Amino acid sequence: MAQAVVTAGSSAVAPHGGDHSHDTNTGVSNSKLGIWLFLSSEALFFGAFISTYFLYRGRDAQFLKGPTPDKLLNIPFTSVTSFVLLMSSLTMVLALAAIQRGDHRRLRIWLLATALFGATFIGGQVYEFTEFYRKGLHLGTNMFGTTFFVLTGLHGAHVTIGIIWLLLLWGRSMQGRLPAEKSEAIEIAGLYWHFVDVVWIFIFTAIYLIPTH
Amino acid sequence: MTEGTDLVTLPPEAAGGELVPAGDHQPVAAGEHSHPGPRQYVLIAVVLVILTAVEVATSYLEGTVNSNLLIAALGIMAAIKFFLVAAWYMHMKQDSSMFRRLFVSGIILASIVYGIVFFFFSSTVLKS
Repeated sequence: MAQAVVTAGSSAVAPHGGDHSHDTNTGVSNSKLGIWLFLSSEALFFGAFISTYFLYRGRDAQFLKGPTPDKLLNIPFTSVTSFVLLMSSLTMVLALAAIQRGDHRRLRIWLLATALFGATFIGGQVYEFTEFYRKGLHLGTNMFGTTFFVLTGLHGAHVTIGIIWLLLLWGRSMQGRLPAEKSEAIEIAGLYWHFVDVVWIFIFTAIYLIPTH
Repeated sequence: MTEGTDLVTLPPEAAGGELVPAGDHQPVAAGEHSHPGPRQYVLIAVVLVILTAVEVATSYLEGTVNSNLLIAALGIMAAIKFFLVAAWYMHMKQDSSMFRRLFVSGIILASIVYGIVFFFFSSTVLKS
């Protein structure tokens, strides 16, 4: 039996301007399904490190031999870098909106802005790590050092991968190899980027804002 | 007419920019809705910034209010920020519910697994 699908505009594109007709068994894009599955597994990955941090935090008598978190953590500084990462989520979603409108100039601007915000965040993290190291907190100094460096370091690695991904997309767009029909490539990178932002929301609260005692 | 799906083109205002099934079967992109516009994204960003400022200000209340209350308030604000980013920026509200279910399943699984680990580890191995 024949069936008609009525679409807006000139072609049968997905409602948000993507290129996917989702001609799959699940009825959804395989790439998007893949990234959501990956992000779901990443929730477990980061959950392990956040739980470990909470498990050992405040156990000064047993594990805290070096500098204490209250003497090291610089909340105003990290608040600024957190703000920068939050703003990168806005520029990322504006990049997606731009490509869905077919506005490639703005797509490239927002992609670069996102990468730049990400790089600023990483710069802040490198500065913070250097300061902590200078004040005597190393990976093996105490449980705070171990859980802090591993958790924030892994998050920083994720941000770095995201920056490289965004720059690759920017390069593809510059070469004209990222037409509006391929907007799903931006959407998938965006999902990864927003997830990294969401993880930081919890890390920031857990490490910097929740009182130790 | 042959078996399969035929595409009929309408002006955007006629169909509201969405896939509309005209036959017995659902179109393949069923369950997905239009993404918000830049104005809504900026509005969400403003709310996120305000929430972050309130969070940071709340953390400075340490010692003046009950610490459990402080932790609860910070947890709730972090959860609201998570919801805003996931729902609006990651389009969980608009995209297929399959993605939402997948992601939420991962979070629930993580909460259960690490809740159990946390409970047993802190009550046995780390008990001081």
